[in-house]
Formats: sequence, C-alpha cells, structure tokens
Amino acid sequence: MYEIIEGFLEAFRLIITFDSDVMAIAARSIVISLTATIIASLLAVPLGAAINFGTFPGRKSLINLIQTLYSLPTVVVGLLIFLLISRVGPFGFLRLLFTPTAMVIAQTILILPIMTGLTISALSGVDPVIRDTLRSLGATRLQFLVNILKEARFAILAAVAVGFGRAISEVGAAILVGGNIAASSFASSTRVLTTAISLETSMGNISQSIALGIVLLIIALGVNLVITTVQHR
Amino acid sequence: MRVLRYVYLIAMQKRTIFAVAAVMVALMLICGCTGTTTDPAPVEKQQLRIATTTSLYDTKLLDHLTPIFEEEYNAEVLIVSAGTGKAIEYGQRGDVDVLMVHDRAREDAFLADGYGVNRRVFAYNYFVLVGPESDPAGIAGMQPEAAFTAIRETGMAGNASVIFVSRGDASGTHSKEQAIWKAAGFNYSTEVKGSGDWYQEAGTGMGATLEMANEKEAYTLSDIGTYLAYKGDLDLVTLVDEGDILLNVYCAMQINPAKYPDINSTVAKDWVNFMISDDVQKEVASFGVDQYGQPLFYAAQDDWEKIGVTEAEVKDPIA
Amino acid sequence: MIELDNVSKNFGDTTVLAGVTGEVNRGEIFAVIGPSGAGKSTLLRLIDLLDTPTGGSIHVNGLDIHAEREKSLTIRRMMGMVFQKPAVFNTTVTENVAVGLRFRGAGRSETRKMVEDALGMVGLAGYGDRKARTLSGGEMQRVALARAMVIEPEVLLMDEPTANLDPVSVEMIEDLVIRINRDLGTTIVFSTHDMYQGQRLAHRIGVLMDGAFAQVGTPREVFTHPASRKVARFVGIENIVEGIVVGGENGSTVVDAGGVRVRAAALNGPGERVALCIRSEDIRIAPAIRGRRVFDGNILPGTVTSIVPRGPFSRVTVDCGFALSSILSWKVVDDLGIQEGSPVVVSFTAESVHTVRQG
Repeated sequence: MYEIIEGFLEAFRLIITFDSDVMAIAARSIVISLTATIIASLLAVPLGAAINFGTFPGRKSLINLIQTLYSLPTVVVGLLIFLLISRVGPFGFLRLLFTPTAMVIAQTILILPIMTGLTISALSGVDPVIRDTLRSLGATRLQFLVNILKEARFAILAAVAVGFGRAISEVGAAILVGGNIAASSFASSTRVLTTAISLETSMGNISQSIALGIVLLIIALGVNLVITTVQHR
Repeated sequence: MRVLRYVYLIAMQKRTIFAVAAVMVALMLICGCTGTTTDPAPVEKQQLRIATTTSLYDTKLLDHLTPIFEEEYNAEVLIVSAGTGKAIEYGQRGDVDVLMVHDRAREDAFLADGYGVNRRVFAYNYFVLVGPESDPAGIAGMQPEAAFTAIRETGMAGNASVIFVSRGDASGTHSKEQAIWKAAGFNYSTEVKGSGDWYQEAGTGMGATLEMANEKEAYTLSDIGTYLAYKGDLDLVTLVDEGDILLNVYCAMQINPAKYPDINSTVAKDWVNFMISDDVQKEVASFGVDQYGQPLFYAAQDDWEKIGVTEAEVKDPIA
Repeated sequence: MIELDNVSKNFGDTTVLAGVTGEVNRGEIFAVIGPSGAGKSTLLRLIDLLDTPTGGSIHVNGLDIHAEREKSLTIRRMMGMVFQKPAVFNTTVTENVAVGLRFRGAGRSETRKMVEDALGMVGLAGYGDRKARTLSGGEMQRVALARAMVIEPEVLLMDEPTANLDPVSVEMIEDLVIRINRDLGTTIVFSTHDMYQGQRLAHRIGVLMDGAFAQVGTPREVFTHPASRKVARFVGIENIVEGIVVGGENGSTVVDAGGVRVRAAALNGPGERVALCIRSEDIRIAPAIRGRRVFDGNILPGTVTSIVPRGPFSRVTVDCGFALSSILSWKVVDDLGIQEGSPVVVSFTAESVHTVRQG
C-alpha cells in the first residue's frame, strides 16, 4: 500500500513539474496517434460514404466483415506489419521498422475498420427524408455527400474520437513495430506512453509508470470530454 | 459552494475546455520536443541500430554510454531491447546493425551461420541464485550444480515451501539455467520442466520474475544487474554466487554486411570498437558503484583467460 | 405540363402503381387523393426523379424526364418538393433555406436576399438565426416550403404536407399554397388523404385507387359524379344503393332498388345494374303527413332507424326499403320532432341521384 501511495505522490510531482521525459513521451504519443487518426479519418470517411451509399453485390457482407474487424487483435496487426517491413520482408527496402512512421502505419490500419464502420452507421442513421430532400433540391453527387456528412457530423466526430482513443491506448503493435526506442532525438524515438508504461513497470519504476498512466488517462478522457461537449452544444 | 458552481459553469463552457486542452497539448509538445533534442547538427547524423537483451538494457549501462558515443561519432543510437531470442531474431533479419547479447552458445551459432561478424567481448558478471532467507532447501554457499540438485530433490520430495521460478522464455538467463540443469546431470525437458509444482515458469522478463519469486518466497536464477536494481524491494537474498558456470559474458558484434549490404557497418564497427576501448572499459568497471555499492559489471579487457575467450576478442579493434 | 402515361412501379413483388394516366396543366393546383398506401407518395417521387418507374413514362414540358440520366439534374432543379415529415437540416433556418441556392452556386448577397424574401413569404421573417430543429412541426414545414420555393421552381410537389400538423398550421400552409399558385403561377401537385383539403385547394383532383387514377376531374365532378362505387365511397357519399334500371325517359331513368322505385337524372339503359349514389346533404326528411306534395322528385316513406350526432349536425338514417341517411342540423331535427321509430317521408330530386354502372 505504501508503495502505491509513494508512487502516486512521485507521479504527481513528475506531472506538475512537467518532467521532460514524461512530457516528451506524452507528446510523441499524441503526435503519432493524432497523425494516425487524421490519416485514418481521411480514408474512413470517404470509404464509409462509398460503402453506405453504394449498391454492389456483397455490400452487406462487406459491412459485416468490417464490424468483425473491430475486434482485430492489435498484436496480430503489429506482427503482420513487422513481417512486412522487416528488412527481410517485401517492404524492407523502405527501412521503416523501428520508426515512428511504422507506428503511424500500424495504428492507422488498426483503427481503420472501426472508424469506417462507425462512419457507415452514422451515415445510415441520417433520416431517409433528409436524403430525399437533398436530392430533390438538386444536389449533385458531391453536394449530396458533403451535406449528408454535415448532417451526420456529430456521429462522425464520435467515430474519430473512438479511433484516437484506440490508437493512443494501443501497446501490442506499438512495441512490435516501434521497438520502444528512447533515442536522443525526438523524431527518432519510438517510445510512447503505452510502451513506456510497459517498460517502466517491468523495470520496477512504479512511480514513473503511474505518472505515465495518469497522463495517458488524462489525454484519452480529455479528448472524449472535448468531443462530448462539442456535441452537446 | 456557490463559487464551485460558478467554476463548474465556466469550466463547462465549450471555449474554456478547448482553451485548456489546447494549452495542455501545446505545453506538452513544447516541453517534449525541446526537452530531448540535442544540438541540432546540420550534418545528417548516422543512425546506429542495436538489438540487445532486456537484462543488459535494464541495467542502464547502455543509456550511460550512448551519449558519449553520439557526441564523439556524431551518430544517433537507437536501442531496441527484447528477450535474447528476439534480439537474435532481429539480428538474423538484418533489422539492426549491432547485436549485444550474453549467450555464448547461440552467439557461436549466429556467427557460424554467417549472420554476425567481429564479435568482441566487453564485460562480464555472474548470475546469482537467490531465494528466501529461510532457505528451506539449504543451498547457501553450495556450488550451483549441487544447489540445483538440492532444490529439485526437496521439491520433488513434496516440500511445499521449496519452489523454483524459471524465466521460462527464450532469454539468456533461461539458457543459463538450462545449462546448469544439464551440468547437474538432468534432462531438462523430461526431468525438470513440468515435473512438479515446485518448478514454475514465469514467461516474463527478469524483473517480473524476481517479483514473482519474491511473492512466492521461491528460488530463482537472476543476473546480478537486475537483482541489484530490485534488491531494495525484495526479501530475497543471494545464496549462491560462485561457480564457473554462473559466468555471464556480454558481447557486441556486427551484423554481417555481406548478408545485408545496406547495414550501417561503419558506425557499427565504431560502436564495437568503442565498447572495448580503454576509456569505456573503465566506465564499465565502475558502473553502478554509486547506486548499489558494488559494480554491476567487470571489464573484460584484462580477464580474457578467466572468462574463457581469446585475447583478440577483448583487445583487438576491428579493422 | 406534366403528362403521366401508363406509369407503373413495382417494388420487388409488390405493385404499387399500375398504369397511372393523367395530365397536370400549367399553373393549376392538382390534388392527388386516395386512401393510405395507394401510391400517392410513390407517384410524386417518380415525378421528382427520386425514383424510376418500372413502366410507362412521365413527360414534363414535352420531355420524357426519365429518358436521359444526364438531364435529370436539370429537370429536378426546376421542381421543388415538400415531404410529409418536416425535414430540416441540423443547422439554422437561413442555412436550411439557402441549401438549394448553394447547390446552384448563387452568390452570397443574392442568396441572403432571396432567403429573406422566402422566409417573409411563409411568415417566418426574423427566424433566420434560429436552429431549425428547435421549431414546431408547422414552422419546420414552412421552412421546408420556403426552401423549396426559394429556388423558384416551375412545379411544386407536396407529399401530404399537412398530415402531421396541428389545425392552425394546416390552415397556414393551405393559405400559402393558394397564394403561391395565384401570385407566382407555380404549378402545384400535392397529395392528401383528406379529401376535403383536396376539395378546398385544388383546381382538379385525381383519385388514386389500386394503383391508378380511378377518376380525374374538378372537385365538383369528383364529389357529385364519382366515376365508380369505390370513388363514391372515398369521396364520402354515404348513400350507395344497388339496383336495376327498369325504365327511362328523356334524361331520366327509373331504377328498381330492392323493390322501391327511384328516379335518377341519368342515362342508363334498361336492365343495367347500377349503384345509386346520393349525398346526405341532398336528402330531406319531413314527418310523414297525409296529403300530396307537389314535388317533381323522389318521395319515399320510411321509418327513422337512428339519429347519430356528427359535429353540429346529426346523421339521420331512415329505412325506406333500403337505408338512406341525411345530414340535418340539430335545430331542424328538433323542429321536426323526430326520433328513432318516427314515420317520415324522405325526398330528393332525381338530379341528386347519380348512377354508377356496376362492373
């Protein structure tokens, strides 16, 4: 018990003094996961719209598949990407292993299914009368899509928040493709909150782990809080 | 109470939340980005990728040495730490430039298969057999092989307070443990592994294994570095620390550029030579004294006979 | 202006429209009335190019609107539509109304002016900055109307626009419909299941039943000379009696209805099976008294079987060989001193008897 309390106290000290190690790791987590979320959004939203409004054989099966991929084990994705970008793998020449770029790729792939699926839900939740109204007002295909997205904007924003939350909380793939490297430069390191917590815990640095854990919580919950507030205005 | 209510109302304003969030993120990014950047050198730094084992990495010896190297050679060192098996795999796949492990048998195979070249030994220490102060199997002061035999006997006989926690992964420590069992005359897979409740496999890193042994008041084999790092939190004591078989030799070797031509072989060579240079050997010999009262490593430089390697491996820089 | 030629529409195995033929003239208000599920919405959607017909064709200004896909956007843009469910976008009222203009690339100040005018027209001036979703149903529907009208369409389609609204809003919308047609000359096609609304607003009515127009004509024609028994039922003719033509002279026919002779002002040949349709308002009831009355119509004795209140009136049903009911004000009922079982005399002119041939 004493160890836990001691740990928490030290953790607060690290946070309040903006300890540079902790902040660097936090910043890196945000940058990597935010990048992944943005890329995934740019892919998921048009893809979701295309699937939702498209008519093609196997559409329902595709949507089912996407929803099944929600529970894709992160470490499996990590393993797959590791095998692909390792020097002996097909994309080895890109020298991506153990770089932040690889982590962005892994997280993007990880959150793509859930963001696409939630986008599809959001769009199909738009009242059919709204769809008819837009078409009857003479919307071109593009205008139609843009306006439907506007109507569903809150649900889509929620999807983005879910994606970010998932990306920043992920540890399996991050360790496999990132290597949890603490290099001397910000841009070469691949240590993020989740992998750092894993390392510090295994090394017995409880207070460091707790500090990192608290920061991760603040970020993950903070993003959701902001999104929810925006939605309720 | 009223004040709290007002604070709540203001806090819940959308703008306030945005502002606070933005400020926090900005602060983090600023602190994070500036906190760890070294002098921005206009020249493109060479990157050196090293795969090493968790037990070596967790001692923080490498973190202590890398800034010196980076300064001198204008390079950036990226270290990936994993279990010995994994680190070797990274080496085999050419994902790193240097491999630093402490498992002679597997290193030999690695070299023989042509994956590695230019092995140099830079440090050594000893494994220790730790356990509860009460020492129910009575192994204190024994030779390692005899101690293992005693633990197994008492454990198999049904003494419930005798437990051995094994790493149970593909680590150097686990290999060492298996070597001791073999030296004591047992067939590991048939006579030790799964032979009873007394033998438990943790499947995790050294630190977690030590903590598990601590919880169970059990025996375990540990490298000295990790044990010293955790000693303050453990009730386990060192029971056996002498015996040639406990020798733990650390090496650094280049990944073979003939196999992977686009490896940074120059800076890899520099690193290995760095590790066996006089100054670094002094650093190695004194590392940890301040913190633990005893050094975590012995410099390999002058003790090549003792540790059973050639003089060339500890002295000769790679050409 | 709009020509429907044998239009049909199937959804899978279900046939909703089966051969709708009719015409809407430029500048008129045309009501499509019919029971729920008759296909009114489907028909309007086909006209607005929200769906394609399975068979037949629709011509607008002589152009087959479903023939060329590339032209569909242009054609759709000259029509505006208001739907049964008030559908407003999750933004301000001004933004809602401006949507159609934005699609057409109108300039900002131009848009603002037109939106203001449109809101003024529907009585929502000053509502511009309010969130559209916070308005009442009637207000939302007016926003929808403004949104459809601001693009200056040649044709305004309305699918049961007042079905979900309170009476005050209904009146407002109906007012607007008349004004838009009168002041702007917009051709309006609207559907409703409320036949009285059709009667109030439309120049011509199409009665859609079983997937086709059972009758197209002026309200008067439809209400007093229904083309079929079903139409008669739908337009609220309560008295429909079956009979056989037994004789006739110039312009008038005598029909035997269950033993009672009825004279109708119609042209049917002897032996024809017909259904007699008589509006309740055309039936007068008087207490049975001795003495002849000079009346060149039908006079039938009978007994009152029921008196049922209906708003400020009462529906009095009399059995004179067959059931006939009349609508009388309470005062008249009181004055006549009649009640259930009273012997009365029912009279109605031959002109008020409309015959429909039985199929």
